[in-house]
Amino acid sequence: MTPNRVQRGAKKRRVPLALLIVPIALVAIGVAILLALRGGAVPIIGGGDEPAPPFDFIVKPATAISTAPDADEAALSASADQVGQAITPAIDDLYTNAFLDPSNWRHDDYDEVFETFAPDAAATAEQSVETLTLGATAGDVFQTVEPGKSKLSYQVLFDPDGAPETVVVTVIFRATAERKDGTYLAIESEGEFFLRQVKGQEGWKITAFDVTRGDHETKPPSSPSASTSPST
Amino acid sequence: MSTHPARRRAALLVALVGAWVAGSALGATQPARHASAAPLFQLEPAHAEYVPLLDGSKPIYVLVIGSDARPDQAIDSQRADSLHILSINPAEHKASIVGIPRDSYVEIPGHGTNKINSALFYGGPELVVQTVEQLTGLKFDYWAMTGFASFEQMVDDVDGLVVDVPFAMSDEDSRAFFDPGVQRLDGDNALAFARNRHDLPSGDFGRSENQGRLMVAALAQLKKEFNQDPARLLAWVASFVRNGTTTLSMDEVIDLAFTGTAINANKVENVVLPGGAGMVGSLSVVTLNQESLDAISKDLADDGLLKKANVPPSPNESLLGG
Repeated sequence: MTPNRVQRGAKKRRVPLALLIVPIALVAIGVAILLALRGGAVPIIGGGDEPAPPFDFIVKPATAISTAPDADEAALSASADQVGQAITPAIDDLYTNAFLDPSNWRHDDYDEVFETFAPDAAATAEQSVETLTLGATAGDVFQTVEPGKSKLSYQVLFDPDGAPETVVVTVIFRATAERKDGTYLAIESEGEFFLRQVKGQEGWKITAFDVTRGDHETKPPSSPSASTSPST
Repeated sequence: MSTHPARRRAALLVALVGAWVAGSALGATQPARHASAAPLFQLEPAHAEYVPLLDGSKPIYVLVIGSDARPDQAIDSQRADSLHILSINPAEHKASIVGIPRDSYVEIPGHGTNKINSALFYGGPELVVQTVEQLTGLKFDYWAMTGFASFEQMVDDVDGLVVDVPFAMSDEDSRAFFDPGVQRLDGDNALAFARNRHDLPSGDFGRSENQGRLMVAALAQLKKEFNQDPARLLAWVASFVRNGTTTLSMDEVIDLAFTGTAINANKVENVVLPGGAGMVGSLSVVTLNQESLDAISKDLADDGLLKKANVPPSPNESLLGG
């Protein structure tokens, strides 16, 4: 008796399913092992990029600069620290987005970086992507990036009424990037950012900057990535 | 044992799928040929900067007023013994400084004809601005004023001014005792340098030029310090706001300070309106050279800058060894 279509279909499914599951699983395991042996934290097929490594700058006490002859220096100093604390998360995010988040540097997608800049400064910043970020071709070159010990310091200029007017953030950022060929690059970004509260924009925005990159070859780290100290 | 044809097809399919998956995965993790062949990364020091400069085509005019107020006197009700027009061409990153002799005998709105320095006494800095506007036809955007003590403190707050003292000075009245050459002047010495006139053949004319020289020195130093450490701009702004009196808002001071960092101080024309000394009754006055005043005023009105042809001779020419 010739089996009907339903029976024929059922018969055909039983065999390929068994054959499909085992080899695909084997291939997937093989690929995973291969990737692991290559030492990379490469995304799992079909998955997204791994999250950015945790990172916080070490923050030094802020310096207050008064413009009132009879300013209460102690109060201004405390206020300067508060301003620094308010800005620090934005600078942490700026450098995380620019250098550490694989979902940015692997795909040349640094849009989040430039959101910290006031419009006029952003236009120049976008033209300086190779200096201000890991670079447009970082995804082709690098396997991983791990943050190192990085420091922030603040100088806060107050107006004569004691309100913060302009902040200069001095940044020393360090990270180690492993290339896909197994060599390592020490990333060093040092500079100063002027931040002001720009009309029509929320929070502090970068209105001027002066940043220098001094990357250099380095040896593989002796131990797994060093964790950075949290912001204070 | 023979293999069922359906199983063979399925096995082939699985092999092909597996190869594609593995191949794709490996392809995705292999460094792209062009990437490995290209330079791995820029290892030369790279630099990026942005400075928000004023860039409008309209010149900015600031009247800089030095009051002769002593430490215990209100600076806006004494005499304006130092008057300078600072004009900035933001688009060209250039500036000019024009000194106005304090004894210039001019029309003071509402107060007849008198020495220009008395305008501050009669009506404060606003009347000084009106007087100079009437004299030159320029429309000032801002004024800024200091007195003796505030000027000294302003200089000390930026750790002194590096000035190329053009000739030796030895004047007991102002306590200006300097050898020629580049030197850092603290507030006290900068004030002495700015006040000295007895030691100069051209008196107040030469003094006015030296006061402009201090402004040029400040501009050069701001630029130099900013290039070495941009955060130094805050110290300069704070020094000005703390010790000066001005119509500039804090934001405007910062904008102008940024703009000042782009100006080449060596190319700033620093001149003094020429004129002749005379007497009106018992008053020793200066009658300004009308032709030169008109030419300089027109030049400044055009683009804020002086043409070489309209730059008058230095009042200190005889000392400069020209």
